[in-house]
Amino acid sequence: MDSGINMFCFSASYGVALALEFSGLWARNRIGRFALLFSAIAGLIAHTWYLGRRVAEMPAAPLASQQDWYVLAAWVVVIVYLVLKLYYPRSSMGLFILPAVLALVGISRFATKTPLATFQAPRVWGQVHGVLLMLGTVTVLVGFLAGLMYLIQSYRLKHKQSSWGRLQLPSLEWLGKVNSRSLGVATLFVGGGFFTGVLSRLAHQGEQNFVPWTDPVVLSLAAMFVWLMVAECFRLVYPAARQGQKVAYLTIAAFLFLALVLAVVTWGDDSLHMGAETEEPSVSTESEEPKVSTSGGRL
Amino acid sequence: MNLQMVGCTHRETGIDIRQQLAFDYSQTLEALREWQSRFPDTELLLLSTCNRVELYATGDPLANELIKALLDYRKVPVEQVEGRMMTLSGNEVVKYLYRVTSSLESMVVGEPQILAQVKQAYQSAQEVGSTGPLLHGLFQSALRTAKRVAGETSLHKHRVSIPSVAISDLASCVFESFDGKHVLVIGAGEMADETLRYLRDAGDAQIHVINRDVQRGQQLAEKWDGQYHGWEELWEQLVAADLTISTTAATEPIVTTANFEEKVVPGRYQRPLFILDLAVPRDFNPEVGNALGVYLYSLDDLALACEKNRAARAAELPAAEKIVLQETKRFVAEINHRATGPVIFELRKGLERPKNAELERLFHKLPELDDESRKEIEQFADRLVNKMLHPPLKSLQDASKNGTQHGLLDALRSLFKLEN
Repeated sequence: MDSGINMFCFSASYGVALALEFSGLWARNRIGRFALLFSAIAGLIAHTWYLGRRVAEMPAAPLASQQDWYVLAAWVVVIVYLVLKLYYPRSSMGLFILPAVLALVGISRFATKTPLATFQAPRVWGQVHGVLLMLGTVTVLVGFLAGLMYLIQSYRLKHKQSSWGRLQLPSLEWLGKVNSRSLGVATLFVGGGFFTGVLSRLAHQGEQNFVPWTDPVVLSLAAMFVWLMVAECFRLVYPAARQGQKVAYLTIAAFLFLALVLAVVTWGDDSLHMGAETEEPSVSTESEEPKVSTSGGRL
Repeated sequence: MNLQMVGCTHRETGIDIRQQLAFDYSQTLEALREWQSRFPDTELLLLSTCNRVELYATGDPLANELIKALLDYRKVPVEQVEGRMMTLSGNEVVKYLYRVTSSLESMVVGEPQILAQVKQAYQSAQEVGSTGPLLHGLFQSALRTAKRVAGETSLHKHRVSIPSVAISDLASCVFESFDGKHVLVIGAGEMADETLRYLRDAGDAQIHVINRDVQRGQQLAEKWDGQYHGWEELWEQLVAADLTISTTAATEPIVTTANFEEKVVPGRYQRPLFILDLAVPRDFNPEVGNALGVYLYSLDDLALACEKNRAARAAELPAAEKIVLQETKRFVAEINHRATGPVIFELRKGLERPKNAELERLFHKLPELDDESRKEIEQFADRLVNKMLHPPLKSLQDASKNGTQHGLLDALRSLFKLEN
């Protein structure tokens, strides 16, 4: 069933779309916009095909491994990008969103393909845990990008640079709304992901029926969730934090927590989410050798 | 091409003369009817806007006769406009009308109103029945040219008036929509009025007017379905506002930094406030713009943005001119080609006659021919005639593209003894 579609195919398409977004800063025309949309859609089709192939190969895919998890998160972000592109065809949001997509795909190359432990836990909790954390990641990422664009747009307006080349961003009002809603929604997703992770652990049979609270991944995820809760409470209590630049700063801080969690998950002790007892090898879709985890799964 | 245009524009004449020559809708209809009886075989169309009065005509009347008709109707003495009336003929009219419709001849190049005005003039002429095939073709192609210029260049995208730049280019960077936004207008001057016109087009904002002169303030509020507030409510309104437009004639700033920080900032909780200070001298102290969430634009800042947009429009001019030139060539070639129609028809007719006679003679001599063979011979004759006609018709087509078809037409007429 090897169709020849791999990560490079869709990454290259997104790369071309990003290059076209950049070229739009100098010359914007209908052909360029069409080519950009074509590249992004072609990338999404290849991306979907790739994920579909993973599902066919692994019953738990597209959340079977850390790598799949990143690739799926990138896929959701691309869909967000294309939807926004339909609403704001002339905006330069791709300059912010596409690098995030490429970064997620890039990080996935470093992430392990070893099946996650949730694969062995009662499947429903494992899948809900994975999906909620993935959606939380996407929401925090979207909020962060909206916050970044808000700060740039605000700076441009403050310094009378609204006609700054051809970089077109959405209005402050829209960016502020996305910013503030993303914080609330991310709190729900991350909280849901965290608690379903705990439940999924507790549902384990045998010796693994406990939550490793001191594990760096669990700790960083808990810290991120606590931060999101605090940020939401802060916004409820302090009216000035409900809109404008303060929300942008809060989403940027949330992203820093997210980056920390992802770094710990990807480069830290990778035994946390690994399958152990079965030593089931992951099925490779790339040329690299599959990893086999031998340590005990914990969450 | 028998096309003429007479008239005056903002380039040659002052507003005093243009005002005397201007026609409103009913006058346009009446004048066209009157001129129709004066020039019965002429197609006529009158374009009258605040910047131009132009009469387009086809047929025989001389330019002077058309000018006289125009002046007679408005009862303007010839001496008053001597040397200030413009006259164009033939291909020049086509190119000029395309430039007018595409807003390249406008006072503010790229302004969009002219297209609607040309459409209106065309509809008026159609209503009276003073247009014919030539003016129909000309005006329809002019509208198509304007559409191309608007679609293929960004000439119309860069706004150049201060209120339009303020609302469409800047305020829209802050607000996604103006619906329901609290708009505070301080002062009731012309600039406030014009800015509100753009604002109303952009969305359904809640307008609140504050003015020292109660009557003028109330008038402005009433005009735009807004609410008038006394001067004492200034700070309260500034706290509630999303967008503030200030245009008072005060000689000192009415909002100082200290006042703003003390009376406005605490109540706003850093909610974004977009301030358009369109007053000279300024109504807001420039330091007010340093407050978090406040975006303060003065008249100078806006003038700078307008200037940049003007430059951007100028950069688009060559592309627009190129489109006008292409479309002019296309229209002229089409009209010239149309003029060759009767000659081509006669030429074909002249060759068809001997062809048919020869075929008849042949079929008479060879009665044993079956239907299929007859059909084949007929097709052969048709192909032969077509191939013989191809080189002269191609030359005629090429010549009509360049407008040099007259010599060839005369030659064909005399060579093949065609009827005039």
